[in-house]
Amino acid sequence: MEIHAEIIAQVLFWGLYTGCIYILLATGLNLIFGVMKIVNYAHGEFLMLGTYITFFLYIMSGFNPYVLLCASIPVLIAIGVIIERLCFRPILGTGKLNEIFVSIGLIYIMQNLVARIWTDEWKTIQSPYRDISVDFSIIQVPLDYLIIMAITAGLLIGLYIFLHHSWTGRAIRATSQDRTGAMLMGIHVERMDMITFGIGAALAGAAGTLWAVSGQVFNPYMGSVPAIKAFAIIILGGLGSIPGAIVGGLAVGLVENGTAFTLGGAWKDAVSFILLIIVLIIRPTGLFGEENE
Amino acid sequence: MIAVSVVKRYHLIPILAFTGAVFLPVLLGSNQYFRTVLILMLIFIIYASAWNFLTFSGQGSLGHAAFFGLGGYLSSLIAIQIKIPFIIAILAGAGLTTVIGLLIGLTCVRLREWFLAMVTFGFAVIVQTVIVISQLSPITGGWDGYPVPKLIPGTGPASSLIEYYCILIIAAGSLLLFHLLLRSKIGLALAAIRENEMEAKASGINTVPFKLFAFGISSGIAAIAGALEVSHFGYISPEIFGTDISFWPVVYSITGGLGTLAGPIIGTIVVSFIWEGLNALGLTYERFIVIGLLLILTIIFLPKGLVSLPDAVHAWKKRGFQMRKR
Repeated sequence: MEIHAEIIAQVLFWGLYTGCIYILLATGLNLIFGVMKIVNYAHGEFLMLGTYITFFLYIMSGFNPYVLLCASIPVLIAIGVIIERLCFRPILGTGKLNEIFVSIGLIYIMQNLVARIWTDEWKTIQSPYRDISVDFSIIQVPLDYLIIMAITAGLLIGLYIFLHHSWTGRAIRATSQDRTGAMLMGIHVERMDMITFGIGAALAGAAGTLWAVSGQVFNPYMGSVPAIKAFAIIILGGLGSIPGAIVGGLAVGLVENGTAFTLGGAWKDAVSFILLIIVLIIRPTGLFGEENE
Repeated sequence: MIAVSVVKRYHLIPILAFTGAVFLPVLLGSNQYFRTVLILMLIFIIYASAWNFLTFSGQGSLGHAAFFGLGGYLSSLIAIQIKIPFIIAILAGAGLTTVIGLLIGLTCVRLREWFLAMVTFGFAVIVQTVIVISQLSPITGGWDGYPVPKLIPGTGPASSLIEYYCILIIAAGSLLLFHLLLRSKIGLALAAIRENEMEAKASGINTVPFKLFAFGISSGIAAIAGALEVSHFGYISPEIFGTDISFWPVVYSITGGLGTLAGPIIGTIVVSFIWEGLNALGLTYERFIVIGLLLILTIIFLPKGLVSLPDAVHAWKKRGFQMRKR
């Protein structure tokens, strides 16, 4: 029984850790969807850019990779704002699927730009704390995972405070609730779009740094699968609901690692889709989605 | 005289295009590289048109590689296991894929655009996982794949010419099928659903069977294209379910013009030329960047695709003229 509990604890812990990356991605996507009502399918590429910015600066400077969050977040805000301005604003309010098609173009551009600069080989960096682990009576937990969870929680709390206690944050929430109404109250909704997109990209970039720091490998094409899972999460949790994204992120992280343990690693990616499809068969608008829109 | 009256003006362009396609390989000579490019272009015209047919019903898919790949796997498995000619196996494979497409369509028809894109993408991943799992790998070869019989046995210029004409006939046939379907009452119903599903329902159209029908036809034709592709290369592996294969028809149809029959054809030809040209220059990564830019620029500045380019240029000229007059 002792070993059994240990394995379960291990799987749970891995799930929580993978969940953190997904939560950051899904929260960003959800924020963007809430305000602009578009789905950015190239969101995983922001994650990938985050890992490569971390990788590049780590090789250049040798700083503690956690410090590089201070670099990847601002860079991704800038990239997000530029992309929103150049690619998404012109198509806002045109065809229903246009943002998906623009995202496909963006995916091609970002992936291959990175591959052009840093080749498409798998890369990895080492965390300075990789040998340290914290001893809970049942399991040994790498310190990195704990730091990553703490940073995720910190970022989410920061986002909450920003959205609820700053003028800009409240303007963003107003825009997501009623665009026309917000416009009539004198909010510059297009500026809110830009800021929101920047924040969404920044959260994905932070997830990228955490991905790289935790010692996982990455290449220019690594972004699609986590991004797609982030979509599965926001569909499970309801489009536009940030608490839903957090619960969904943890759930998908746990289910995925549970499956990898019981059915084998090959099913790891497919299972979140199977989960998603089952949910959508039962409720076509998502688990917590609005009934009619 | 009768022939003249039957052939109306708007028939002229397709007929000219078909005649051109018939004579093109003769004009290009027996260069194997050009012939391969032409064959692949035809296959992707079939595939992109199949994808595009789905958008006629207001649906979309980011996972058509699931059907493309299933077509390849099922037809080649049937051809190998039962030992029947590949051309018959293609039809059987397409039939089976249509059934699977209908089953997948059942989950998709009620979904909104974003969910639909997600779910179809998910199906490509799920199908790939099922193909490579260890229980099926004795048949499917797992990640390694297996060799596939050729559509036309033998190598060399003569057999590749016959292969080209076979695929040309299939391509023309499927385009004709799409044309006839869209001109029938089914096409009208699909257009009504695309424009406004609520109103279509209100005017008495049972939307689900029509959307399912579009899904089934689209997956079946995509399966034919997949079978033709693997038999051309003589090999199949699970990489056929990759996102690249899912995204190509999207790129082709959008640059050509969404919701028109000519769009995917023009898009495939133009994009393939750019692609092969950049490839010849040795620009491995840059070609993707160029295609991505082309896609984004088309959506922003030419939302109806390259098909609408003459009209757009005309309108632009007219506007310039009026401004000068002022």
